[in-house]
Amino acid sequence: MRFLKLYLQPLWNARLLLIYSFLSGFAILILAPFLMISLRSVGKGWFGKLWFPPELTLQWFQTAIDIGNIPEVLKNTAIIAAIAVAISTTIGILSGWAFGRRHLPGKEVLMSLILLPRMIPPITYALGVAKIFYGLDLVNTYLGVGLAHVSLCAPYAILVLSSTFESLDERVLEASSVCGANALKSFFYVILPMILPGILASMIFTFTTSYNEFTLTLMTYGPDTVTMALRTYLAIGDGYVEITSAMSVILVVPSLVILAMIQSGIQPEKLIGGFKGV
Amino acid sequence: MIHTWRKYEQHAVTLLLLLPAFAAFFGLFAYPILVTLIQSFRPEGQTDGFTFANYINFLSDPHGRDVIILTFVLAIGATVFSLLFSIPLALILREKVRGHRFFRLLVLVPLMVPGLIGALGLLLFFGSRGWFNLAMQLLPFIQEPLSINYTIQGLILFYVWLYFPYTCLTTLSALEGLDRVVEEAGAVAGANPRQVLRYLIIPQIIPGILAGSVLTFMTAFGAFSIPLITGGDYRPLSVQIYKEISAYIPAHWSAASAMAIVMGILQVTALSLYMRLLRQRQVR
Repeated sequence: MRFLKLYLQPLWNARLLLIYSFLSGFAILILAPFLMISLRSVGKGWFGKLWFPPELTLQWFQTAIDIGNIPEVLKNTAIIAAIAVAISTTIGILSGWAFGRRHLPGKEVLMSLILLPRMIPPITYALGVAKIFYGLDLVNTYLGVGLAHVSLCAPYAILVLSSTFESLDERVLEASSVCGANALKSFFYVILPMILPGILASMIFTFTTSYNEFTLTLMTYGPDTVTMALRTYLAIGDGYVEITSAMSVILVVPSLVILAMIQSGIQPEKLIGGFKGV
Repeated sequence: MIHTWRKYEQHAVTLLLLLPAFAAFFGLFAYPILVTLIQSFRPEGQTDGFTFANYINFLSDPHGRDVIILTFVLAIGATVFSLLFSIPLALILREKVRGHRFFRLLVLVPLMVPGLIGALGLLLFFGSRGWFNLAMQLLPFIQEPLSINYTIQGLILFYVWLYFPYTCLTTLSALEGLDRVVEEAGAVAGANPRQVLRYLIIPQIIPGILAGSVLTFMTAFGAFSIPLITGGDYRPLSVQIYKEISAYIPAHWSAASAMAIVMGILQVTALSLYMRLLRQRQVR
């Protein structure tokens, strides 16, 4: 026992060092894959046991943009995400209000029902969605792919917005009507400023969900609705690592921008809020 | 009389507000599942008829059982290792060490970036020419590059990379909800740091940790893009379903539907068992 203590004492003394080596290992594990992708995308002749590419080039980006048709793909991605965000935010505002502000019997049960699509693996209902959309000629249309994304985005929006509406303070609303604001005025000057952060948060999360969504896109896409995530997947299948890396770098930029936005405002806990009911 | 009429009106408004959500729920979730369920009973390639053959074929085939076992191994492995990794990380991040904001941001990275990119980056990083193997080969006793890609261990590692934030964030928020006074009281009463951790911190955050592990298990069970790209010959259920409709012409819709239904049932069963266990723990 004393022996063990003797052995453990220096470890305890060096705990700061241990903590920092653990943390740097963690940082390397998270960041190194991205560093390797970005180096791959600008490296030339990087073969064998080399730590860094011997030459730098932008030609892979050029090839990716030319062959991968990136501008078109980015346009598709933006339109599809916009459709998904618009529909799910509308749904989220309406039902969020019902959930957060109105008397609703069986609220818990309804909420868990609505969150069900986020708990069951998307592939299980993506098959059915694809089959139905084939019948309705919605496959390979912006609306179709966007709608498919709504099945995942809407539960998020409803959850975030109902908690936003729930936290509205009744007394502030009363105060505004006591002070003589009519319904319209109190909506624009009192309610809207209070709920705007929530709406923005929900829009950001639904956008990320749609932007990253792969399963449902794969089941409903067509040659005219290839999104960024899908394009990268197809490129991985083609096997040109450099070009795929260049596409990945383009694909990852919006995610990093959103990460920076979150860092400066929204709590990360909200991110996993989609499952809080579990 | 007027009162009850008002009440009905109120209910009608609530219902109208909820209508779009229910339309989306039924149109994009419930109805597709129903279509899948019906399709799973159709003989392959026919538009009507009724058969259990799709289920029987899948469940009696040893390969089919391997697929199910693999899915569970991956999901459980990912959950266990996520927990083992997240708890120390959360304990460290809680002590506002220098640069803790940066490390907190890093926890969010796997959640925010598309899973595809993560998978590609990990394949490059752990590949035979990746930095990981280059670093390993600096060690004197390792000559050959370690093979991590396309192995079970590697797959679990990639799953952990992608899904540990759920466990880490919930553990962290549970830890931050704790009252430091309790620990100080423990220390004053003569408990050493190990005892404080064992008897005061861990028991209090167990519910948070387990809730986080449910999320990791759930998402790992349904994981699709990571095993699709990095799995190689290891195909969990989700990938196998996709293979049934993408690798064959004409597509095996009925077989795929039967697998999808089996997967949904397994997921729901596993989740409810898990929740039941959690609840029993909390009651005790």
